[in-house]
Amino acid sequence: MLLQTTILPPAASEMAYRWDLLFWSMTAILVTSGLAVYAAMFYFCVRYRVQEGVNDHTTAPPPRILGSHKLELVWTIIPLLVFLSFFVGGALIYDEVMHPPADAPEIFVTGKRWMWRAQYPGGQRVIIGQNSLDYSDTLANQGYFEGALVLPVNQKVRLTLISEDVIHDFAIPAFRSKIDVIPGRYVTTWYEPTQVGEYHLFCDQYCGTNHSLMVGKVRVLERAEYEKWENLEVEGSAGLEGRKLFQKLQCTGCHNVESSKAPILEGMYLQRRELNNGKTVIADEAYIRNSIRNPRLQVRAGWQAIMPAYGHDQVSEEELVKVVAYIKGLSRGKSLIRTDATPAPIGAKTEVPTAPEPK
Amino acid sequence: MSVASVNELRAVPDESPKEVRHKSYLEEGYSIWSWLFTVDHKRIGVLYLVTVFGFFLVGGIAAGLIRLNLLSPSGAILDNDTYNKVFTAHGVVMLFFFLIPSIPGILGNFFVPIMVGAKDMAFPKLNIASWYVWMIGAAFAVWGLLIGGIDTGWTLYPPYSTRSSSASVLPGALGVFISGFSSIMTGLNIIVTIHKMRAPGMTFGRLPLFIWAMYATSLIQLLGTPVVAMAVLLMIIERATGLGIFDPTMGGDPVLFQHLFWFYSHPAVYIMILPGMGVINEVITCFSRKNIFGYKAVAWSSVGIAVVGFLVWAHHMFVAGISYYAALLFSFLSMLVAVPSAIKMFNWTATLYRGKITFEAPMIFALGFMVLFTVGGLTGLYLATLGTDIHLHDTYFVVAHFHFVMVGGMVVGLLAGIHFYWPKMFGVMYSDFWSRFAAVLIIVGYALTFAPQFYLGLHGMPRRYPNYPPEMRVFNVASTAGYFVQGVGFIMVATYLILSLINGKRAGRNPWKATGIEWATESPPVLHNFEKTPVVVCGPYEYPLNVMQTGEKADVR
Repeated sequence: MLLQTTILPPAASEMAYRWDLLFWSMTAILVTSGLAVYAAMFYFCVRYRVQEGVNDHTTAPPPRILGSHKLELVWTIIPLLVFLSFFVGGALIYDEVMHPPADAPEIFVTGKRWMWRAQYPGGQRVIIGQNSLDYSDTLANQGYFEGALVLPVNQKVRLTLISEDVIHDFAIPAFRSKIDVIPGRYVTTWYEPTQVGEYHLFCDQYCGTNHSLMVGKVRVLERAEYEKWENLEVEGSAGLEGRKLFQKLQCTGCHNVESSKAPILEGMYLQRRELNNGKTVIADEAYIRNSIRNPRLQVRAGWQAIMPAYGHDQVSEEELVKVVAYIKGLSRGKSLIRTDATPAPIGAKTEVPTAPEPK
Repeated sequence: MSVASVNELRAVPDESPKEVRHKSYLEEGYSIWSWLFTVDHKRIGVLYLVTVFGFFLVGGIAAGLIRLNLLSPSGAILDNDTYNKVFTAHGVVMLFFFLIPSIPGILGNFFVPIMVGAKDMAFPKLNIASWYVWMIGAAFAVWGLLIGGIDTGWTLYPPYSTRSSSASVLPGALGVFISGFSSIMTGLNIIVTIHKMRAPGMTFGRLPLFIWAMYATSLIQLLGTPVVAMAVLLMIIERATGLGIFDPTMGGDPVLFQHLFWFYSHPAVYIMILPGMGVINEVITCFSRKNIFGYKAVAWSSVGIAVVGFLVWAHHMFVAGISYYAALLFSFLSMLVAVPSAIKMFNWTATLYRGKITFEAPMIFALGFMVLFTVGGLTGLYLATLGTDIHLHDTYFVVAHFHFVMVGGMVVGLLAGIHFYWPKMFGVMYSDFWSRFAAVLIIVGYALTFAPQFYLGLHGMPRRYPNYPPEMRVFNVASTAGYFVQGVGFIMVATYLILSLINGKRAGRNPWKATGIEWATESPPVLHNFEKTPVVVCGPYEYPLNVMQTGEKADVR
């Protein structure tokens, strides 16, 4: 988009609506009074300009007007009252902003030149910042490096922020929110996002060379989307930990889209599974766990019972929970590809298979 | 310098051969030393004129680099570090070496003694000392800018400035520290001059409003500058010795610096705007041939701004981690300081009523001041209001707001003053057509430069960004275009003013048929300003009676 066409940025939080209301009320008053002064100036300048024979040195001199206490009182008291009403309106909003709800979940944000690190209550972590100059290739495109503060819609959330070095500022225009992030001190703010979308996040306090790159996005998601993100996608979530284990345990050696040895696991959670003994099961958590601990018990129809059992010495129950979480959440097209980053087990075949997946 | 040719023109005998003609201050000596060692307040004013506009050129070029870089969302010409140094140079030079000394240094030095009917400032040697101290400070700052630049922003916030910045902060900060003393000296001199040097009959109620404005300004300079000197000195100590004052890793408090800094730097914006307002009083009355509407209200609003202006500093810190109750108090007080500025606007507008208005260049600048300052003042209310400030703080909205006040207000006010008093200062008149044309161009250029920045600020574009989201490009390009429009205007001003020194028409004593006492003396004035001590018989704006403060008819000469 080359041009923004609205006076104000999108209003994506409860506070933003209230802010906009105050802004437009003030603007209505201020623009009206500003234009009134301009109109008076303009009228006087035209009406009382020097015109030959009408209003010049030959006509009577201007009246000697020294002032008018009445008028001056009027234009002292009325502006004062108007300004004080702004003060009250502004104070009401400020009061809300400065007093976060006590029960809202808390996200800790650490600022450091030139990135932000956000720590979610569930252990999830995101890093925001280090954008490129033209805002085009944010690191958000690179897999699991989110580069965005992700928030659920219609849920209050509290942020506690601190800086590791110099003063930064955590500003989200779409939320009409901004707070200086100071070293050696916690500061707190809060949001209640109301609109799903992706919005700018800026560092607003000058912090050196890459001050302008200490920016990122705020992504507001629907509840369900957010839960998926929270549980599966973000650093620190069970799903992502499970994914790392999935690689570490060499599961990708067979369970990948190019392999003919094992089924791929996309979208299998809660699906019906036909077994080679003729029975049918629902692929729930227990099925997934069993298929890892004791894979030959329930072998899927059309596949060889070749998968080794993973015992407690290879994967603990705690780790297994994460692997299950990963497999549960694996959606279509998200299977890992066997690459150098996820090397095949020693001795495994490496040629590209041709056999299609059985239906 | 072209002054010599001006003086050749002056040598031609004119209308009053009976009187013994004294030499004008420009003819008192032609050597460089007669300028550098002068104690004449008028020559010191001219020294300030030359140097202040020198710095304006430097700061203006820096502004051009900033605007050029922002032509492209990814930064058109500068890398990030260079950009940071350039915007710091722009801020430091424009604030400490242009805006603060501009009107007090040029018009204050030149006209305060004349307008109170005195021979010179109360302390002429302190006066020239102030210029030298300022130049020494400037030398430090320029040294800092040249040996590697300063990348802290003009606000010098620690711990960035004391710990992280690798640039040459120390010489720059020393420059700011030293130049502050010059400001104190000028302020002190002006206050004493106004109190003790007034001509017979020049009561406080007959003082030109420019003098009232300068008095209020000097009060701030005298009381505020020591505080910023302390803040900068503490910052220098922390940076140089590692003593923990502001850096929290050493037990300091970074917000303390902001308090000390803004305790001066907010009143300092009134140092920058009050003298401009003072000039507007003189110009508006003269070109509408009217008494000022509500002399007392305008005079006391200047003092009111100076006093209340000291109590509002923390409105720069609403989101900086100050206490909730402090924020409430400072927002409330900021609302109060807006009132006197509003009073001035209304009184100026009322002054136009039933006048005989002409539109020479000073008047166009003065009207431009009123238009632009209104925008700057009204948008300031969004920043004084707690709720709205949260979103707008540290964005281009703030940048646009203070440029409308500082540039649209002070620079236009300065230009109004320079154009109004140029014939008095140098005895010559500049081109009428070109000056009006340039005035319109500059005012339009300002509006074009800074109005788009309000829009960018509302969308959250932060200050001090060398690059920005691509959707903000159109308004950045418009702003840059505005810069060039003003630039052309300034080149015109410089050209016709310099040409006027070479071949300008002789202006005579009172080219504007003004009533102030300063127009009762020769143009350019003689060394001691008046042939004999003037006696003041009335207030400064008796245009309807056509009477000067000295009792003569205003339109005779």
